[in-house]
Amino acid sequence: MNLRDYILRRLVVLPILIIGVSIVVFTLTRVGGSPIGIYLSHEMSPSEVAEIKARFNMDKPVWTQYLYWIRGIFQGDFGWSGVAAAPVSDVFPIKLAATMELAFCAGLVALFLGITLGTYAGARRNRLPDHITRIIAVSGASMPQFWFGIILLIIFWANLGIAPIGRSDATIFASIGHPTGLYTIDSIIAGSPKALWDAIWHLILPALTLGFGATAIIARMMRSALVEELQQDYVDAARAKGLAERIVIKRHARRNALVPTVTVIGLTFGFLLQGTITIEIIYRWPGLGRWMADSVLRGDQATLMTYVLFTSILFLMVNLIVDVVYANLDRRVTLGK
Amino acid sequence: MSNRPQAQAESAGLNKTESAFRVRFGRILGLFRRLVSNPTTVLGLVIIGLMLGMAIFAPWITKPNVPDPYQMPRDWGAVRMPPGTPGHWLGTTNEGGDVLYGIVWGSRTSLQLSLIVVGSTMVIGTIVGSIAGLLGGWVDELLMRIVDVFLSIPELIFALAIAAVLGPSFANIIFALSVVLWVKYARIMRAQVMQIKANDYVDAARVIGDSKLNIYLRDILPNAVTPVTVQATLDMGNVVLIGATLSFIGLSEAGIAEWGVLVSEGQAGIASGRWWASTFPGVLIFLWAMAFNLVGDGLRDALDPRTEGR
Repeated sequence: MNLRDYILRRLVVLPILIIGVSIVVFTLTRVGGSPIGIYLSHEMSPSEVAEIKARFNMDKPVWTQYLYWIRGIFQGDFGWSGVAAAPVSDVFPIKLAATMELAFCAGLVALFLGITLGTYAGARRNRLPDHITRIIAVSGASMPQFWFGIILLIIFWANLGIAPIGRSDATIFASIGHPTGLYTIDSIIAGSPKALWDAIWHLILPALTLGFGATAIIARMMRSALVEELQQDYVDAARAKGLAERIVIKRHARRNALVPTVTVIGLTFGFLLQGTITIEIIYRWPGLGRWMADSVLRGDQATLMTYVLFTSILFLMVNLIVDVVYANLDRRVTLGK
Repeated sequence: MSNRPQAQAESAGLNKTESAFRVRFGRILGLFRRLVSNPTTVLGLVIIGLMLGMAIFAPWITKPNVPDPYQMPRDWGAVRMPPGTPGHWLGTTNEGGDVLYGIVWGSRTSLQLSLIVVGSTMVIGTIVGSIAGLLGGWVDELLMRIVDVFLSIPELIFALAIAAVLGPSFANIIFALSVVLWVKYARIMRAQVMQIKANDYVDAARVIGDSKLNIYLRDILPNAVTPVTVQATLDMGNVVLIGATLSFIGLSEAGIAEWGVLVSEGQAGIASGRWWASTFPGVLIFLWAMAFNLVGDGLRDALDPRTEGR
């Protein structure tokens, strides 16, 4: 199968998977009983109940209700969020920007630390730095993130009093405009170094907490890829040319080791996305994750459905892009297995 | 290594089944030797041993709460006690919950969670994966598309949504995780079955006229066990990690002796410097997950001769 056919096939399968996910999400919310309950009260007469049911199309068969939901989505109507006290579609972009800012910074932390640590360990295989990196990687993968966040808060917020909590200082946040919703970008647009510093200051701890777990995934993959590359003939050739070991690793082996590391980006992305839920609870970050957690506890089904559907589509897209990029980078990959 | 028991069995003139048993036993012994030669695996095994000991001897370590020992006892006369307080050696929470009690009985809760979830997902996944791999055709296509849909939703978010719809309870967390995690095993098992099915010895068995079920049980299943076992070991830790996360978010009953719930209960005190109620139970979640990760990694290395010297 050539690359074009492969991409085409994946693009055909993508909508099928998205429809599958939407059916799963819809079914889920119907398992817990009809969502009409929140609109009803005991004083209502049967005719009033019937009227409300008719208004939300709840008197129709289940599959028709599903189609109404899908039609609503295409019209930009995701329902009413009880938690946010507003239509889901109004609040979603603002919360999404906050979450993406956090996840992106955490991703940068993870990429930088992961590649550095992985390279460092892979080049010193079975020596002390390698063992230390392995311990960091295993602990990163095993550490409950919500607990790690609390520990950092105990140290830097409760005891040392140097770390802030939340996303911003309310007055500084209000002093600038928010065209993108990304606090760091907005502060640069507004030309306010004070706001930029405020944004970064609030980002550091949550991004580190979230990034640490993902660092483990990348460092592990980077290490084993580098170990593999260092056994290749071209590395010997580079060494035979008389290149310094540092150059051999940096210019030759590391570059090739990055190729298989691309495959874990999808995994890392999923990890970061899920991680935002607890990290946002702990650091009181006003993003999607915390909204979802609140919605879950307070039976806000419209938010829950939108969140699960949206994150799944995002997750699918990222994985598709990663696979295509990887197939492009490494022509040895057998496609469509 | 594995030749020696066989040779012994033959020289002793034992019958065929008995020597097969010896060979298998010899292999397990060899695997065990390779496992314990790795210090990090041993560390993992020791931690797991201690955790199991704590779960088994829970009633002797702390006096069980009546009537339900899985419910945290509340000592309203001793709220917010720091560690080292007599009778409350690891301190108490804002609601007078004894941290040590929560940790000790939480090991039982975690053990239940991981055993039930890993057990059920392994069985369901193995059955589905085997059916898909053996039958092939449209059955395979249908089952694998369902698996793909399940894998499209990030694990924690999926489990969170299911548990949310069913209502907050620890039993629902167990159920939710079982619904989410079986797909991994189905995938692994299907790939294994397809691969093993193509081997000559399976053809040979078919030629002799063995029944399909016999071929599956005797030739395919035993050879597919390896990757499933590794995944199950890793999941024993993983499941507790996700389960504790869901509990922390608030999807367990409040007051149950569970590590995630305890971390959440302790969170209220950190602003006033009461660090212990969140810190200690979190260490246990961390150690539990790490131990199974270490053993899982060790098991993978020991079972796969290619990864020697890693």
